[in-house]
Amino acid sequence: MLEYPSGGTIYIDGIDILDKKTDPAKIRQKMNMVFQSFNLFSHLSVLENLTLAPIKINGMSKEAAQLKSMELLRLVGLAEKADKFPDELSGGQQQRVAIARCMAMDPKIILFDEPTSALDPTMVSEVLSVIRRLAREGMTMAIVTHEMDFARDVSNRVLYMDEGIIYEEGPPEQIFENPQKEMTRAFIQRIRSYTCRISSPDYDLYAMNAEIEAFCEKQILPKKTRDSLLLLVEELLQIYTPYLPTTVLDLTIAYSEKSERLKVVCESYGEAVNPFDSDNLADDDFGMAIIKSLTESIEYLWINGKNKLQFLFKI
Amino acid sequence: MDFQTRIENKATVVTINGRLDAVTAPEFEKRIRELIDSGNIYIVVDFEQLDYISSAGLRGLLLMAKLLKEKGGDVCLANVKGNVRSVFDICGLTTIFKMENSVAEALVTLA
Repeated sequence: MLEYPSGGTIYIDGIDILDKKTDPAKIRQKMNMVFQSFNLFSHLSVLENLTLAPIKINGMSKEAAQLKSMELLRLVGLAEKADKFPDELSGGQQQRVAIARCMAMDPKIILFDEPTSALDPTMVSEVLSVIRRLAREGMTMAIVTHEMDFARDVSNRVLYMDEGIIYEEGPPEQIFENPQKEMTRAFIQRIRSYTCRISSPDYDLYAMNAEIEAFCEKQILPKKTRDSLLLLVEELLQIYTPYLPTTVLDLTIAYSEKSERLKVVCESYGEAVNPFDSDNLADDDFGMAIIKSLTESIEYLWINGKNKLQFLFKI
Repeated sequence: MDFQTRIENKATVVTINGRLDAVTAPEFEKRIRELIDSGNIYIVVDFEQLDYISSAGLRGLLLMAKLLKEKGGDVCLANVKGNVRSVFDICGLTTIFKMENSVAEALVTLA
């Protein structure tokens, strides 16, 4: 094993590969791997890259191996490149050769380690279409990828991994349409966020404004949106000010690049209290009127000992 | 916020620029109280150079209107435009304050 897992279990066809009685080499014969940076043998032709292992390891005759390899090269659209060397091919072509080389060993499972991340964007689709074809034909594949649209189309089980653990897993419909956990949501919806902790009524509004402006500039939000967002934040802080001597407020501005929506989330600790209840508001309702005019929806939740108010910003 | 005053046609023209928000509203209120206490009870507030107003700023303006009413004075706002005007609209204050498109027109309204 290249890396020994620090935790968890891995089963292949019901066999625990971490069990001491298991022979990893035997299990490995059922699998093959496509690397991020192709890893073709540069001194061998495309055809020789494909025939090497079937001849040396499986004891196949040269003729049979060549026949089969040509079939596989046709499958990935590269039969005419059989006599070329890897250096004479584009990145996308090299990766297709690497996939064909994998297939030459008749694996039951193929592992793909970010198969398109080393490629020029124009070459990504040619590799993905080969993988799509393998998926349609029923090949079992474990693919590490950042190509979200591709993962959604091609998979029947998605594992979202972060900080060394499987953070969330489920069918693609769940992970992409209705992720249950916050970090998965942030990743899928490409959410960029800014959070500020306010623990005193003497907060520095202008320093916060400068940070919010910088955040908006980074997301290339129009000036009108930025000005309205600054107004919304000031009004929210005004409503929260009476609570600030006794509570800490975390204010988060989250922008989804995917949906192009802005959300402002206020989380405060302490007893359950909604600052937007009419009993808790100032005599005039200017602040509330401004907030309502700038937002599409306001939602109050009490979760895990936190008051959470979410505002969906009108864009 | 920059706060400047001048006398024109027996009225005090107050020019504010920058922001009228939770940070600057207390200073605005203080300066307005001083003006009114020293007998300036006809006031034009010129918004030409004001970029931003929040509810805190609106409360400062309402306080000014209240103090002037108690003294028998009056106020007219000039050049309330763009984002600042929108905030007045949202809070329904466009019908409460006298507003004109220029300082000259506001001075006529107060005359």
